[in-house]
Amino acid sequence: MSEPNAPPLEGPGIGKDEWVARVEARTQSGLPGEIRRFLLALPPWARIALIAVPAACIPALTNNGYFLQVAIDTSLFVLLALGLNIAVGWAGLLDLGYIAFYGFGAYGYAMLASGHTGLHWQAEVAIPVVVVATALLGFLLGLPSWRLVGDYLAIVTLFFFQIFLTVVNNGQRIQLPFKKLEAGLTRGPNGISDVDPLNFFGWHLNSLREYLWLAVGAFVVVIGALYLVNESRTGRAWRALREDPLAAEVMSMPVNWLKLVAFAAGAGIAGLTGTIFAAEQGSVFPSNFDLALLITLYAMVILGGVGSIYGVVIGAVVINVSLEVLRTPAHASWLFFIGLVLVFPVILKSWRLRGLVVAGVIGFGFAVHGIVGALWSGGVDGSTTGEAWIDRLIDNWVLLPNDPTVIGRWAYVTLIAAVLGLTLLRGLWRAAAIVPVLYLAACVWENVLVLQPSVARYIMLGGMLVALMAARPQGLLGSPRVEIV
Amino acid sequence: MDFIAVFDNLNWDSFVQLTVNGLTLGSAYALIALGYSLVYGILKLLNFAHGDVFMVGAFIGWGVIGVLGGSANPIVPVWLAISFMIIAAALGCALLGVVIERFAYRPLRNAPRIAPLISALGVSFFLQNSVLLLFSADFKTYNTFDFSGGTLFLSGINWGPLHISLLRIIVIGSAFAMMGLLALLVYRTRLGKAMRATSFDREAAAMMGIDVDRVIVWTFFIGSALAGVAGVLVGLIFSQINHFMGFNYGLKGFTAAVVGGIGNVPGAMLGGLLIGLAESYSFGYISDVWQNLIVFSILVAFMLGRPSGILGRADIKKV
Amino acid sequence: MATLLELRGVTKAFGGLTVVDELDISVAEREIVSVIGPNGAGKTTIFNLITGVYRPDSGDILLEDRSLVGLSPHRITKRGVARTFQTLRLFLNMTVKENVMAAAYGHTRAGVARSILRTPGQRREEREIHRLAEERLAFFGDRLMGYRWNQPAYSLSYANRRRLEIARATATRPKILLLDEPAAGMNPVETHEITELIGRLRNEGGYTILVIEHDMHVVEGISDRVIALDHGEKIAEGSFEQVATDGRVVEAYLGLRKAETK
Repeated sequence: MSEPNAPPLEGPGIGKDEWVARVEARTQSGLPGEIRRFLLALPPWARIALIAVPAACIPALTNNGYFLQVAIDTSLFVLLALGLNIAVGWAGLLDLGYIAFYGFGAYGYAMLASGHTGLHWQAEVAIPVVVVATALLGFLLGLPSWRLVGDYLAIVTLFFFQIFLTVVNNGQRIQLPFKKLEAGLTRGPNGISDVDPLNFFGWHLNSLREYLWLAVGAFVVVIGALYLVNESRTGRAWRALREDPLAAEVMSMPVNWLKLVAFAAGAGIAGLTGTIFAAEQGSVFPSNFDLALLITLYAMVILGGVGSIYGVVIGAVVINVSLEVLRTPAHASWLFFIGLVLVFPVILKSWRLRGLVVAGVIGFGFAVHGIVGALWSGGVDGSTTGEAWIDRLIDNWVLLPNDPTVIGRWAYVTLIAAVLGLTLLRGLWRAAAIVPVLYLAACVWENVLVLQPSVARYIMLGGMLVALMAARPQGLLGSPRVEIV
Repeated sequence: MDFIAVFDNLNWDSFVQLTVNGLTLGSAYALIALGYSLVYGILKLLNFAHGDVFMVGAFIGWGVIGVLGGSANPIVPVWLAISFMIIAAALGCALLGVVIERFAYRPLRNAPRIAPLISALGVSFFLQNSVLLLFSADFKTYNTFDFSGGTLFLSGINWGPLHISLLRIIVIGSAFAMMGLLALLVYRTRLGKAMRATSFDREAAAMMGIDVDRVIVWTFFIGSALAGVAGVLVGLIFSQINHFMGFNYGLKGFTAAVVGGIGNVPGAMLGGLLIGLAESYSFGYISDVWQNLIVFSILVAFMLGRPSGILGRADIKKV
Repeated sequence: MATLLELRGVTKAFGGLTVVDELDISVAEREIVSVIGPNGAGKTTIFNLITGVYRPDSGDILLEDRSLVGLSPHRITKRGVARTFQTLRLFLNMTVKENVMAAAYGHTRAGVARSILRTPGQRREEREIHRLAEERLAFFGDRLMGYRWNQPAYSLSYANRRRLEIARATATRPKILLLDEPAAGMNPVETHEITELIGRLRNEGGYTILVIEHDMHVVEGISDRVIALDHGEKIAEGSFEQVATDGRVVEAYLGLRKAETK
């Protein structure tokens, strides 16, 4: 099929799909290209150490519980993303039920070691049991993949996730046949809140620092194992399966078995992460395992580069840390302007143009602020919550109405339309149109998005997935892929 | 879901009541399923965002009734108010669908198969959270009962103890009217012929001079408009809507499309009605918690046992 | 010569259409047999039946007197049947060398646990796989050598992709190679090269070869025996000259004009 809107190509290589040629040109360029080359030059153990050592040193730098908590969460996200990458990135199976494995692991540990059931298993027994059980569940969910591929598999696994949520949410009505529990199997939406901390052979993990070390240790073990598997016959077979299941089968690879192993391995890693999560939080709730978590994980796996374990790690770290920064409005303002500075070179090609646009946006902002202030003082009377100089600056530059609710809605919808329209423009028109759009974005950011950080972060994740797929589907560190349809 | 009047004993009346409830719900599912089916037929793409387009439709309907002065005292006659809601939702969603196609899916026409699926997930998430951002997480209500003092519920067909409210008649009636229009469009017009040709073989259709891009845009336009109508109808039946409703209805609609035979127009209608009935009966006779599980089992049974659905033809895989 | 592969009364129908009808074929060890026939004669279906992609409705397929019917494709490949595809199904985003290495899956053993532990056996096996892949690629002269090893398969030219498919098939250590139109889409020079290559595969590699081909020069150049099919039935069998001059074959290819024959 011809693509009428495709930009002219500078000669794709022989036998190379034009779509790939187009994205390939972008991989090798810019900062991601530099990082990619740098990482590829390192030996594998050094790449792992590059991530693990700084993470393990965080407790030496700070005792701030918040930082440690973020570091632990990030490590858990990295583990989850690595597990998801097995099925999605390597074997090419779109698994939307992955969070259920994570939840199963967390609930599994909560059942085996809590006041809820009265069992208080040691971690060295409970963790292997939970991991094996989760892997078996993964095996089971892998079975439909024998008959279903692509979207059908995605929807069945998504339904499985829904079933998991239904079960844990209504678990207060379920009883085990052999043991009567006071509050049913899972206590429903109230969750299980008296989960034991991990206890290895009498060594109790009590502090955040210890959990961080445990999580980093688990990361090193998991990524090392994944690296070795990827370089083995099984790893090659998974990639072959992703490329062409029929050819893989005919070339002597037991495709169905490989699918099950991929599902089970990912599930096992999710189960392990779940146990650490449940013990560290000391509780599990159904709301810990929602659709938002699934999308976040997909965004992590895709941003870094599907199939590349280091890319996945970087994607998880970048996304979790950004989301964390977005929580506080004052930080969010910073992030927005830093983000703009980073995005700028991508949209505009020449330095002169970039300078002109920056000056244009600043000037445009003060002009609009002045005009609106003169005509309608209600339009500029609001103020940001922060006290730093940047907040004062924003107060005088961005339109901050007293009551941004209704205006904010219209501005938000207009902004989306404007950004979409911007992608259709080329050359100077785009540079000119960028000025008001950026200013509008700043207004919407300060008036709407900053006020609801928990929603804004998910909007940005959703938007990022769409934009990435269109602009750089191989992620930051992945290599572009060709598929003959 | 307390809207369904459940009778204590299993008798004929309760069976008929459950059937009517199931058909009402099923006609909404059928409208959603049609959107999935049309798009899948032509692009072989599972449009995850379709459920959220439906949700946006429900919100547009809610917005229109608010602009018209609320359901208790609308500034226009009730029938006109409901028509406005349906038309506005249909047009708004159609536009939304076309925009989604243009910006999220068209750039990925030749990309690996997994790319548009992920893009669709992103769109779905984006829409859901945008609505959450703009309108908060509270349930919004259509206040359906306030329409001319509750006549939508109170009047209707009375037949012994059985009561089919005017509202259900309106919902089923408008859903069937839409499906009839769609059937006419697909089987009687030039555009419909082009759509069928494109769904049969996109490349061949393009070589025969069919403007495939235009056909795809129209497919999104029509499918999304139907989803918008479904959104308003569901809003009218249940009165309450929220930003997350698209997920569940989307899954059910997709199930309906698969059960009927994905890519098959009469199949989607039949599948929708069947899923609605199955859900209503399992609600009435089995349990109100596990109806999703039952719908899920139907889906898996069909996917594994008869992936081509009830009315679909089995494809022969060419190697 | 002993019979290696034998099809006995194999029938396959899709819906109401019989694609392969009561077909008997036997291929002796180290023989090169060509299957010819017009489009839609059921040639590729035979390959799909032998490799287990389809299951025959009736009849039996034997490799060294053991039935292959009902086995999954990867088991059939393990028994010693390897094929290439008419429409080229390489693992496009894997490197050239990895494409060949992946095909060694069937005759290697190390599982996930041993790969993680890097046991001595696993390392030895891994070295063996590398050596095998390099050897198989070297078979094509310098076409697939050197820097090309680490290039993704999609960067190869069309002819090289066909060569890589053959290299990949031989890496499964087959007894019989099924080549589906190896010369399709090639220019005359490349076609000539492929003709020589198929001979070398038998003479140096020791493979038995069943080949589907449309190019009559290739068929003439390589075949010990030719089988002509039409509508799923065998209409002629024998040497190239015998088959090429057979009335039914000519009729199947060119069509029969009733006025001329009467």
